[in-house]
Amino acid sequence: MITLYDYELSADCYQARLALAVLGLEYSRVDVEFYPGREHETEWFTELSPLQQLPVLCEEETTLYDAPAILVYLASRHDPTASWYPGGDPALAGQVTLWLGFSRALAGSAGAARLHESLGHLTDIDAARSRAHTLLRVLDEHLWFGEQEGRDWLCATDRPTIADLAAFPDVALSEEGGVSRIDYPAVRRWTDRVKRIDGFVAMSGIFPAGPVAA
Amino acid sequence: MTSIQPGRAWHPVASSGDAVVRHVFQGRLLGRELAVWRADDGYVNVWENRCLHRGVRLSIAVNDGRELKCQYHGWRYSNRTAECTYIPAHPADAPARTICNRTFAVVERHGLVWTTLELDRPEDLPVLPDDGRPLALRPITVAAPAAQVVDALRSYDAGEDLRLAAEAELLLRFDRGTAPGLTILVQPSDATTSVVRGVLHGVAVVDRDRPPLDLLRLHNRALNRVRARVESDLGPLQAEQQEPELELLSEELAELPPLSRPGRSASLRVRVERKWPAGADVAGFALAPLAGHLPAAQPGAHVDVHLPNGCVRQYSVVNAPGEGDRYVLGVKREPDSQGGSSCLHDVVREGDVLAVSEPRNNFPLRRDAEHTLLVAGGIGATPLLAMAQTLAHHGLDHELHYFAQTEDHLAFRDRLATLGGSVRRHLGLDVAATKARLGEILAGYAPGRQVYLCGPGPMIEAAREVAAQCGWPVEKVHFEYFKNAQEIDKESSFEVALARSCLTVKVLAGQTILEAVREAGVAMPSSCEQGACGTCLARVIEGEPIHQDVYLNDAEKASGEAIMTCVSRSASPRLVLDL
Amino acid sequence: MPTFLCTDPVVLNLWHPLAAIAETAPGRDHTTTLLEEQIAYALPPDGGARAWRQGAPQHPLPTLVRYGYLWTSLGTPPEDLFSIPEYDEPDRRNMNASTIGVHVSAPRAIENFLDMAHFPFVHTDVLGSEPHTEVVEYGVDVSAERDEVRATRCRMFQPKASASSADGAEVEYVYRVPHPYCSVLYKTSGDDPDRQDVIAVFLQPVDQEHVRAHLLLSVLDAAHEDKEIRNFQQSIFGQDKPILENQFPKRLPLDPRSETPIRADKSAVAYRRWLSGKGITYGVIPAGR
Repeated sequence: MITLYDYELSADCYQARLALAVLGLEYSRVDVEFYPGREHETEWFTELSPLQQLPVLCEEETTLYDAPAILVYLASRHDPTASWYPGGDPALAGQVTLWLGFSRALAGSAGAARLHESLGHLTDIDAARSRAHTLLRVLDEHLWFGEQEGRDWLCATDRPTIADLAAFPDVALSEEGGVSRIDYPAVRRWTDRVKRIDGFVAMSGIFPAGPVAA
Repeated sequence: MTSIQPGRAWHPVASSGDAVVRHVFQGRLLGRELAVWRADDGYVNVWENRCLHRGVRLSIAVNDGRELKCQYHGWRYSNRTAECTYIPAHPADAPARTICNRTFAVVERHGLVWTTLELDRPEDLPVLPDDGRPLALRPITVAAPAAQVVDALRSYDAGEDLRLAAEAELLLRFDRGTAPGLTILVQPSDATTSVVRGVLHGVAVVDRDRPPLDLLRLHNRALNRVRARVESDLGPLQAEQQEPELELLSEELAELPPLSRPGRSASLRVRVERKWPAGADVAGFALAPLAGHLPAAQPGAHVDVHLPNGCVRQYSVVNAPGEGDRYVLGVKREPDSQGGSSCLHDVVREGDVLAVSEPRNNFPLRRDAEHTLLVAGGIGATPLLAMAQTLAHHGLDHELHYFAQTEDHLAFRDRLATLGGSVRRHLGLDVAATKARLGEILAGYAPGRQVYLCGPGPMIEAAREVAAQCGWPVEKVHFEYFKNAQEIDKESSFEVALARSCLTVKVLAGQTILEAVREAGVAMPSSCEQGACGTCLARVIEGEPIHQDVYLNDAEKASGEAIMTCVSRSASPRLVLDL
Repeated sequence: MPTFLCTDPVVLNLWHPLAAIAETAPGRDHTTTLLEEQIAYALPPDGGARAWRQGAPQHPLPTLVRYGYLWTSLGTPPEDLFSIPEYDEPDRRNMNASTIGVHVSAPRAIENFLDMAHFPFVHTDVLGSEPHTEVVEYGVDVSAERDEVRATRCRMFQPKASASSADGAEVEYVYRVPHPYCSVLYKTSGDDPDRQDVIAVFLQPVDQEHVRAHLLLSVLDAAHEDKEIRNFQQSIFGQDKPILENQFPKRLPLDPRSETPIRADKSAVAYRRWLSGKGITYGVIPAGR
């Protein structure tokens, strides 16, 4: 049985919920009230997650508290097609890891700007936004050339991977941090594609995509 | 806003490849945000990025292929005209056709989407070398005013043998030898942002699906260098954005709309683009605009067709909103035609120009039902076809029951085919068998269901009777008659007071209320003028009407709150109308 | 009289919320922004509340502790705040659900709070679901005596009306706007159909286009933990946030010709007129400009 320690409005928690949803996995949720209860700072939670990070995923003997780690674990363990995490292909495994790292940079910039704007967290907001724009420029260029090559996703495969799931939340929520995506048209198209992945679930702040053409 | 009001009115705002179907591109020109979206029929729309209702950006709306559905309240806006075709909060009402988002003129050329913010501004697009194979580079957004970007681009060097050959406003052309090589356009997004749009000329594209990536990357690198230089020279700009002036709406739209339906009388000129046999004794007509776009027709709407012989007839629009820029009509040849259907069948030909009214919707389709039944008899299928296509497109549960003499008598079989399993055919049934079948169809009323009936008078009568027996409340049973077959009594005479106009008029024997009201100088829309279409409806404030129409249902008639001014009369000596 | 960046006398003289008492550590100074001014506030350990403009502690601002929040004013506020009598009923659970920053004007956020027609599209499968989209006629009045806008008999089909409801039901709402930047709604309680849960939004105008939205809950719910109830409201508010942040212009336009109302917007029309009548200029685009 999988248990997810979860907070609805957290972009990192949403990464885990997305992965569980697209993999079609059942799980039970434990609400950890990040705000206003600051439940992630409680002793019981710190024992699960020493850095007081959300989400935490438990299955049998495994307990993981870092979003990319949870994605790698879930895909490796529960995706028999190995398409979500193509760990057996060195080049693809490297690419996935690169974009997982990129998603952490997004969390530290676009994500931090969002926490600043929504919940008043202390951040150098100008620096966070500027860094987020730098990342979005890189992402847009990568995705635009991907479209020219007939590639829809972050990694060089015809199927989405956990890299797409990891990068999506902080991109799709960037405007809550005052980081507009108007200048990143290829990023905007990619967010529509991610929303159309089978099993996709939305979260507060993200609307689902409309129907695809027949 | 300084220095961004260029003389050229038309600017590129997107690459053709940016406007993919089922997506809304968010653009910007001269400080104004744009929602750019491609319908499934290929047409690219450029609209103000703002829903008229509560100002929500349409770039977060859903593009369903035919309409944009606003994310906030689900208002639907039609492809091409941006007319609102449906307001879910009031599912029984047809939205006023005049609720229309701001659209901008569009041209798709040279691999780019062009627009102008100015009204009626002739196309002053720059002429680009056209070898039929323009290749748009990746657009590069630069945080700098357009003039600075143009300055920096003069020394553009992609390492290819390109030299600056010509320059126009916000445009630079580079030639390779004597052949045109590259045009660079600078889109002035706002006071501090520009987009560099490059179009390569004369590129040999071997495979349409495999663009020359090396070339695209080469220019992308070079443009990134230009961007880095301009941005570092300028430093971070204060993104002091001035809000664009928003247009005010008409007085009519600013008011809370009344409960009654508005009617309109303006006429359109259309060309018969196609005429074809659409079923036994049924001619199909596709009417195309002479210029511009046709107003969107909501499902259930009809137009008045003014015929060359002077007749005016009403026909339902068969195609669904957002589906093509045409009105598709189906005209059955009536054996006792008084010049309407026979003229359309025998006289009107492809290429002819006809005058038609703007579409009116007096038979609006609710889209808040859990299940919708559409029951069609013969040519009565036409409005129901538009409804069925709309419901199918929105993924709403429905069935279309189509009664006809034979398979050949089914009209628009191509459209029926696309509706698939929701269509039930009932062929060759006599009166008794039809009634029995209606009993089966209408059995099992449940709240959340709605039924729409259209067909010959006796069939609608029968269906309404059966529906009542099956427990359908009258407000769930919607119907439209082709014509009013009743004998209209015009012998009485009475007084009509027009409350809002402060006028009292006398209606004489042989005269209709509509005629008397118009004679007194009060404008009043009308269409069929025989009590069937609902266009000339008026609210009754006081008095006891005699209805004589086939538009209102029994409950509406009993309430005495509305009349059809073309046929209704008064049992009381005086009738007070809200006119 | 000190000068402020906000020059709207009506708004300066209002009470404005600064923070939830439960989220304010006592005994030390905190800061926030109100009407573009930096405001410091504290809950002294010996009780009471203090607020002052940053750098001017010698000039205390008026304070009030009501409904679990600390309120202040930059001008001369009325003696008391509008009343929510239900708050004092002994069996109610009162809590602050959240304080969330939103990039929108306070009046736009109030209008969204008053609106039911968006439930099926924004709170899909929770507060509404297609095809149940109809907004039936409801009542609106502006009480001169209480100086507030009130909308009554607001009915809507809801798949999951609150943390305590499992099935769909038609719910009835009453809305009050007793303050230009505050609104209170009453909805049928899941626990007791004869009584109503109360949800209020108190908007702290950070500037003309930014607010901090303080959400107060006063509910009858014996079954759920506080955090479940709060979590439900936070999710709902999180769904409205991208709509509010995508409204343009961000200030509420008061000219009747700037946006198209429908009958479902009766309460918003009354609210806009009420603001115009008060002569409010902050957070709005006044008519005729």
